[in-house]
Formats: sequence, structure tokens, C-alpha cells
Amino acid sequence: MNDDLRPNPDEILKRVSAQEAKRLKGRLRIFLGMSAGVGKTFAMLKAAHARKATGARVLVGLVETHGRQETEAVLSGLEVLPRKKLDYKGVEIEEFDIDEVLKRRPDLVLVDELAHTNAPGSRHPKRYQDVLELLSAGLDVYTTMNVQHLESRKDLVEKITGVPIRETVPDPIFELADQIEVIDIAPNDLLVRLKEGKVYLGDRAARAAQNFFKVESLTALREMALRFTAEKVDQELQSFHEMKGHAKPWQSSERLMVAVSHSPFSETLIRAARRLAYNLEAPWVAVHVDTGTTLTPEDQVQLNRNIALARELNAEIVSTSDRDVASALKRVARQKNTTQLLVGRPTKRWIRDLFEGGTLLDRLVRDSWDVDVHVLRQNELSTYTEGFHIPKLNFSTGFIPYWNTLWALVGISFLSALIEKWIGYQAVGFLFLLGVLVIGRLGSLGPTIFAAALSAFSWNFFFIPPRMTFAISEPEDAILLAAFFIVAAITGTLTSRLREHEILLRDREERANVLYEILKEISSSATKDEFLARVSSRIGHVLSGHCSVLLKSRDAGLTNEARHLYSKELSEKEFAVARWTFEHRQPAGWSTDTLASADSLYVPLTGNDEIFGVLVFTPAAKKPLSAEQSNLLQSVCRQLGLSLERHFVQKRVAEAEKLRESEHLHQTLLNSISHEMRTPLTAILGSAAALADPTISSSALSRETLTGEILSAGDRLNRVIENLLDMSRLSSGALALNKEWHDLHDLIGVTVSRLSRSLKDHQVKVISGDDLPLVNIDYRLMEHALSNLIQNASLYSSKESEIQLETRRAGDFVELVISDRGVGVPEESLERIFEKFYRAPNAPTGGTGLGLSIVRSIIELHGGSIHANLRPGGGLEFTIRLPSKNAPGLPFVTSEPS
Amino acid sequence: MTKILMIEDEDSIRRVLKTHLEPHGFTLFEALTAAAGLKLMTDVRPQLVILDLGLPDRPGAEVLREIRTWSKVPVIVLTATDEEAMKVSLLEAGADDYIAKPFGPLELIARINVALRHHRSDQPDEPIFTSGELTVDLAGKTVTRSGKQIKLTVTEFALLSSLAKRPGQIVSQEELLREIWGQVGAENPHYLRIYIGQLRKKIEVDTSLPRHILTEPGVGYRLV
Repeated sequence: MNDDLRPNPDEILKRVSAQEAKRLKGRLRIFLGMSAGVGKTFAMLKAAHARKATGARVLVGLVETHGRQETEAVLSGLEVLPRKKLDYKGVEIEEFDIDEVLKRRPDLVLVDELAHTNAPGSRHPKRYQDVLELLSAGLDVYTTMNVQHLESRKDLVEKITGVPIRETVPDPIFELADQIEVIDIAPNDLLVRLKEGKVYLGDRAARAAQNFFKVESLTALREMALRFTAEKVDQELQSFHEMKGHAKPWQSSERLMVAVSHSPFSETLIRAARRLAYNLEAPWVAVHVDTGTTLTPEDQVQLNRNIALARELNAEIVSTSDRDVASALKRVARQKNTTQLLVGRPTKRWIRDLFEGGTLLDRLVRDSWDVDVHVLRQNELSTYTEGFHIPKLNFSTGFIPYWNTLWALVGISFLSALIEKWIGYQAVGFLFLLGVLVIGRLGSLGPTIFAAALSAFSWNFFFIPPRMTFAISEPEDAILLAAFFIVAAITGTLTSRLREHEILLRDREERANVLYEILKEISSSATKDEFLARVSSRIGHVLSGHCSVLLKSRDAGLTNEARHLYSKELSEKEFAVARWTFEHRQPAGWSTDTLASADSLYVPLTGNDEIFGVLVFTPAAKKPLSAEQSNLLQSVCRQLGLSLERHFVQKRVAEAEKLRESEHLHQTLLNSISHEMRTPLTAILGSAAALADPTISSSALSRETLTGEILSAGDRLNRVIENLLDMSRLSSGALALNKEWHDLHDLIGVTVSRLSRSLKDHQVKVISGDDLPLVNIDYRLMEHALSNLIQNASLYSSKESEIQLETRRAGDFVELVISDRGVGVPEESLERIFEKFYRAPNAPTGGTGLGLSIVRSIIELHGGSIHANLRPGGGLEFTIRLPSKNAPGLPFVTSEPS
Repeated sequence: MTKILMIEDEDSIRRVLKTHLEPHGFTLFEALTAAAGLKLMTDVRPQLVILDLGLPDRPGAEVLREIRTWSKVPVIVLTATDEEAMKVSLLEAGADDYIAKPFGPLELIARINVALRHHRSDQPDEPIFTSGELTVDLAGKTVTRSGKQIKLTVTEFALLSSLAKRPGQIVSQEELLREIWGQVGAENPHYLRIYIGQLRKKIEVDTSLPRHILTEPGVGYRLV
């Protein structure tokens, strides 16, 4: 045994909890009867009354009383929902109003007749789907049903009663039921009730009685109902044990495998496999072998349903392509270390079995030494036949190959007639054989067999004497013809098979490639939008249709905004389907059981425990997807879901990080600001208070000092505010540059004159380079940058020292150097002084540590750079480089005198 | 006595301005709201209005437009924002000048005097502009600095005279460009920057610290 392949306990735990999560929130109680008239509705209403007595809000969603008085009596006292009126082709139909129920949200809803088929235009085609939705919305549901409507019992019931059954309910819904109550009554009593007219009204009673209500039939149905319920109880027990024992590893070394086909019988097989797996405490695998035969849409649907059932029952699904079922099963069995194999009883297929060397079963048993093969009994004679797949003459699409074959053979016949006198009529047979081989190579099985038969006839009729008859004079010719037909049929079939096999292999390879490519695209795309776009276009291409993805918005679900991401906007109705899928985390729309009238298929994209969006697939032609295709779609959706999850998780982590950083920033800012603002405020308040004191303000000198103090503190406050404003604008990215071509000297002039008060104790020297080009700058921002630098220079240098501003041209740049004779900074701090909140160790008190970081941001926004250097002889110099490439000039040099 | 109407809701600013303006011979009328201000406009007929943009009842810009529908009285706007677009739109709406908070009272007084002078001399252009060492003779088309004639090109002189016709007042970039270069100017605002630079080299004592041609960033220029 290969232990790696065994699910580990954690995985099982996860599976179980997933199953728990999938369990519907509401509780379902089914009142099951053997036939109409046993009193299901009555019992249901009684139970509802009991529930109501406990204080629950009970709503009768829909109840058919069939005019029975005792039922109507028990209905009184319960709130009954008005039925919804639907107009279908001019006829008014009353239906169960699910929307209204969901709106009212009672604790318990009563919905009669679970098997009912809804009128066209309803949300779901079947009533049981309505019930499922009610349950997942968290409402409890009571419902009724007769055993004959059970899908798995339908055939048997038809056989017993001879009455065709049109409406069925899939068995799995019973798995969801929390309680199944059998309403039992002795068949004789029921017949008495029927006679008394308590069951059906009028002449319907008599007609029904003839077919259905016979003691023998009723007894059989009764047994069926009771047995079904018993089975269900047994299963519940299994589930309970599975849940209980979920933490313990697989006890046995057994591994089970079940072969699943498009037969309805596969459902029974799957259930049996699950039971066996449970008893053996073994993991199990459901295998489907795609033999390359084209399935009818109904078969396709059945196959998808079978696979879905197996998946639901926790089987591992393996889908493989092989012409030969037996060898495929053996291959998978080996890969999965299977010890037990479960198959249905295959139908006898004479010719094919002859070709393949025995029936499927024979061959399975013959070569599988180490595997127990179980063949399940088949209770009822199934109408299903797999048989030898005789290609049907499909006139809509498949007629052409036959037509071509016919013409090819007519051509060969003419050619043979021309050259027969040289080669003899017997050799003509080889020409025909060659033709059959070519047809086999080019066409499928049908035309090949057709060609073999037709060429035998043609050879016989036109060439083998006596000519123009089907009679054969020479016995050796008869043997020749028979041998010809057999050889032609076998070789033709083999060639055609070979070709189909090649096609199959190619398809398989292609699909594997697609999956691989998609995974590669996801991992190689830089952004989620990119991989979504690429993957959906590939899926659309592979499944021939259009594919796109709706993503959920940040907090809410699938909002209207998501709709616009779709290249062709979804209609309100289609979008509602998408939303349903999103809310229920289940596929919906086209080719599913929910809202099947939609144009597109909607598949949820879920990660490990969260849904991120919905994949929308709009088929080009409404042809059901093959098992392979839906598997592919499912795998891709799973991958997409996981990738989206990864993406979202990353994004959330990054956001949290950013938030933490900005919180830190705000805190630092706040601390720094409160200091920066309070200091000058204190100076202002203090000075003003002093001025108010007549003993101080009487001296002109102290008055002057105090007012000077107030003025400079005011300037300082103003500077703090301007820096803060700039900072917030720069960091929020709200700053749109308003760049124009400006004269740098103009900027210097304006800035220096604005700062004249703070600069009054310094000498400002401007050295202008000649012929300086204009620079493309946001004037106001650059003025802030420059004024910050000049103020720094004046703050950190002694009075009367010189501040120098020098402009010069440097290639495609203009340089502006601001230098002072101040204290400078320690050399190791040079690189850090542009960082936010960094203050050089020798910096005087005050200052937010924001100024230079703002300056650098502004200059970098202009595509320029700034550097700080220590000046020889003391002081600091800042060099700003601004790009001046392609600076505009005047159209011509004006030198005309005035 | 010059009557000034001050429409401003902040007590502190009103008090400060009153303290500074009254010693200069201005009589101040105060309104706290736009409605009260507009009423006082008709009652006292002031020679100048100081208008704050952030009034409690109506936006200042709206008040300005209303005043302009029937009066040519000079209006100086007080703004708390520093946005160029706002300043330009105020000038277009008919403000004679604006001043951004925080401002020095002395600067405001200078602006008031310029606006009043310009309003009084609302007759055809004064032919000669004089400021310090600079004299511009619009009629004689000569410019002298400290008595020495300066040679200007035709375009330079056109630019200087555009400014000299409205001494002390902001002339917007757009206006200058349109006046001198027409449509071509509107598309090439850098012409103006280059010519202003050239002009400064000729008429200013210190080109880097101009005293006559002053830049109002983002708005325009004024000649003082």
C-alpha cells in the first residue's frame, strides 16, 4: 500500500467540516406515503399545529386539500400564503410563491407535493429545488411525497403498477432530511377510503383505482416505502459514525474503486460503494472512463449527475479517457492501489466482446489478481443498454460521411470496370479492400462498416459472374466474397479504431495542456486582472463560448458594479442568477438544475472558506458540456478560487501593514506637531501678556523685543501649517502637478522676497548663470521647496552670515545650489536628512523633521534630484537638479530697438 | 475720510484691521454676514470693500458677483486658500485685488491705497509712470532709469506699458499674453516668462530681487 495516497486525518477533518458547512441551515421533514390518500397532508398539518403551539411562526406555503373536508378542517388556524399567479400562454397558473416566503421568513414553511413540476417561468423547474433554497435560507420545511416519485424507485413502481410516472425527486434530497415520517395505512383501509370518496373526487377515483389501487400494488408500494425509510435510518447511522470517528485514520488497508458510467444504475452502484467503503473503513474512488463515444444530451446529464453524486458522497473522482474500459479500470486501479473494485453487471455485447477478447467482466477478472471484483445485482431490468455502439445515421450531421463513402465506392466500381479486363474480376476485390481501408482511416466506424458491406455487394453484383446478379456461380467465389467481407469489416474497423484512438489521445493531451497552460498563466501573471482576463479567454476558447469573471467588491457581495467588469453587460435577470450562485456557492444557470433558462452557466469561485466571485460561461451553442469539459471547468474554477484567495489574502496583509505604518506616522506627526505648534503659541501668548502689562510695555525697547517675538512666532506657526498641508497633499497623492515653463530667477525672486522678514539678518547673494533655459515646474510647489531650503539655511546659520543661491546650466538640466555657512550636519547624517521625521543630532530644537522630506518629494515629482554636501570651510549646500530638456524659446530673436 | 466696508465674520480679524486702518484715516463699517454687508453697501456707499471669502451665510465669490452687478467700487478679497485657480477666478469675477491669510496689515494698507488710487484715476491713462528711479513715459515711449534712457525692443515696451497703464494692479498672464501676442500668446505662455526676464535685466537694479516688476505666482504681474 502506498501510504502517501491515503488521506490524512486532517484532510478528513476538513472534509467533514466542509460537509457540515454544506448542510442546510433549515431542517427538512418529509412525510412519506405509499400512495395518494394515506393522509400525508393531514399528518403534516397536524405536526404544523404542534409546532405552532410551541410558539413558532408557521406559514402554509402551499397545501393541496383536494377538497377533502378533514384536511381543510385541520388547515384552519394556520396562516396560508396566497399563491402566485403566473401567466403561461394565456392560461393562468397558480404556483407556490417562494419569493414571498423568503421575504416573510417564517420559522416553518409547509410545502405539499415535493415532486411537483413548476410552471415554466418559475425560478426552479422543480418544487424540490424551491424547498432546497428555503432550507439554505435557514427556514424549516415540512413536505409530503409518495414513494413512487423517488427517482430510484420509479422504474420498479412503473413495473408494479403499469402506470407511467412523470415526476420524480432525486434520492439525495432524502439525505438532507432531518426526519422522514412514513404515513402508513393498511392497503385495505386505503381502498375503503377510496370507495368512500375520501381520496379522489368524481370519476378520477374509479380510473385511478383500476390502475393503481389494487391490494397487490399497494402492498408492494407499502413495503417499498417502509424499506426505503429503514435504509435511510441505516445510512444516518453510518454518517453519524463517520462523524464521530472522523479523527481516526483509515483502519483498513482496503481501497475501494467504483466504475461510473452514464447509466442511471450507476447511482445505485455509487451508493453501494459508499456503504461498502464505510463498512470496510476504506477510502473510495469513483472512476469514469470516457471511451470517446458521443453521448446524447440526456446521457451527458445523467453522467454529470452520477459524478456529482459520487463527489457529494466524498469519493475521489478520477476521469480518464480510454477506448478500452477494462484496461482503463485496471490502470487506475493500479495507480490508486485499489483492493476492491465495484462494477455493475455489464450488458452482453456480442461482436464487440469478440473483438476485445471477452466481456468487460471477463477481462477485468482475468487480469486482476490482486483486486476483488464485486458485481452488483441489478434489481430491475434496466431499459438502459450500452450495447455495441452502432453509430446512428444522424441525418442532421452524420449523413455526409455515408454519402461520401457511397460516391467513393461508385468511383472504385467505375475504375474497376475499366481495368478489369487486364487484372481479372478477383483482383478487383483488392481495390475495394483498399477503398475500405482508406475510408476507415478517414471516417468513423459507421461509414467503414457501411463501406465494407456496400463494396461486398458491389463486387458481387457487378464483377463476380454471373454479373448483374447477386448469385454466385463458383463456390470459391462465394468463399472469396465471404472472406472479403470479414477481412474488410475487421481491417476497416481496426483502422477506424486506430484513428479514433489517436483522436482520443490527442484530445486528452490537449486537455491536459489546457489545464497546464492555465496554471502557468495564473502563476506567471503579475496582477489578478491579468490572469483573470487570460484564463477566461482561454476557457472561452477551449469550451467554445464566452467566459468572464465577476468579482465581489471589497466588503459587500456581488454588487452591481461587478456587472460592468463583464465585457458585455449582464442583464438584470442574468445578474440575478450570478448573485444566486454567489450567495449559495453553487453552480446555477444554463445546464444546471437551478434557473436553467439563463443564457450562461455560473460557477462559484471559492477558496478554502470564502467565495470570491463567479465565473460566467456563455456557450456559443447550447450543447451540454462533456464530463471532461465540466471536469476541466471545475478544476479551473477551483484553481481560480484558490489563486484569488491567495491574492486577496496578500492584499489584506499589505493593507494591514500599510495601516499600521500610517498609524505610526500619524502618531509621530501628532507628537511632533503638538510640540511645533505649542512652542510659538507659548511665545505669542507670553509676549502678548507682557505687552498688556503697563510696567513692561512702557519701555520702548522691551516693546520692540516682544513684538518681534510675536511676529517671528507667527511666521513659524505659518510654516508648520504650510508644511503639514503639503505633506498631506503629497502623501495622499491628491496633488496634481500644474507644470508650466517658468524662469528659475523669477522663482528665486518671489521666494526671497516672501522670506524677507526671516532673512533680514542674513545676506542673500544670488549668482545667476547666463542664458538659463526655462524649467517645467509647478511654481507654487517649487516655491515651497525652495522656501523650505532657504529657511533652513537661515535657521541653522549665524546672523550676518551669507546665504548663496547659484543657478547654472548642466547639460539637459538646470542646477540650483543653496549654500550656507551654518552648523552643517554630521557627515553620517547627510544621507538621512531627507527621511521623514529625521532630525540631525546637532539640529537646534524645534522643527518637525518634515521639511526636507517634503522638499525631496516635490523635486522628485518633477523628475529632478536633490543632494546635500558639506561645504569646505563649513556649512551645508543643497544641489537641486531639474530637467530642462526641450525647453521652449522664442520663435525668433528680437533685437529690434524701440 | 475714506469709507471702507469690511465684510468679515471673524472678530479677531475685524479688530486687528480696525486698529490698523483707522489711524490711516479710514472709517470702517463692519458687517458679519453677506446679507448685512450687501445692505450696508447701499446704506453707506463705501469707497472700498474688504470681503472675506468664508462667510457664514453665502460664499464670498457670490457676494462679489452681486456687488459687481451694480457697483464699480474696488473690492479686496481675503482668502485662506493659496490656490492659484481660485485667485484667477476671483480676479475674473471682478475683484480688484486679493490677499491671502495670513497677511501683514501694512501690506493690506498698501493694497488699499493702490486700489483707491486706481479707482480715483479712472480716467484715460496717466501718461507717465514713476516709481523710484524708474520712469515710463507712455506717450513719449521712453523708459529711463535714474535719468538714463533704456533701450527696449518693441515687444518689451509693449509689455512694460501694459503693466504701467495699471500701476500697482495685478495684470493677469492671460491678459498680457492676449494683448501682446494675440492667439499665439495664449498657446505659448512661456513667451511672457522670457520677456519678463529680459525686461527685468534692463530695468531692475538687482535682477534676482526685482523691485518693480513683481510676480504674483500663478496669476500675473504687477508694476510698482
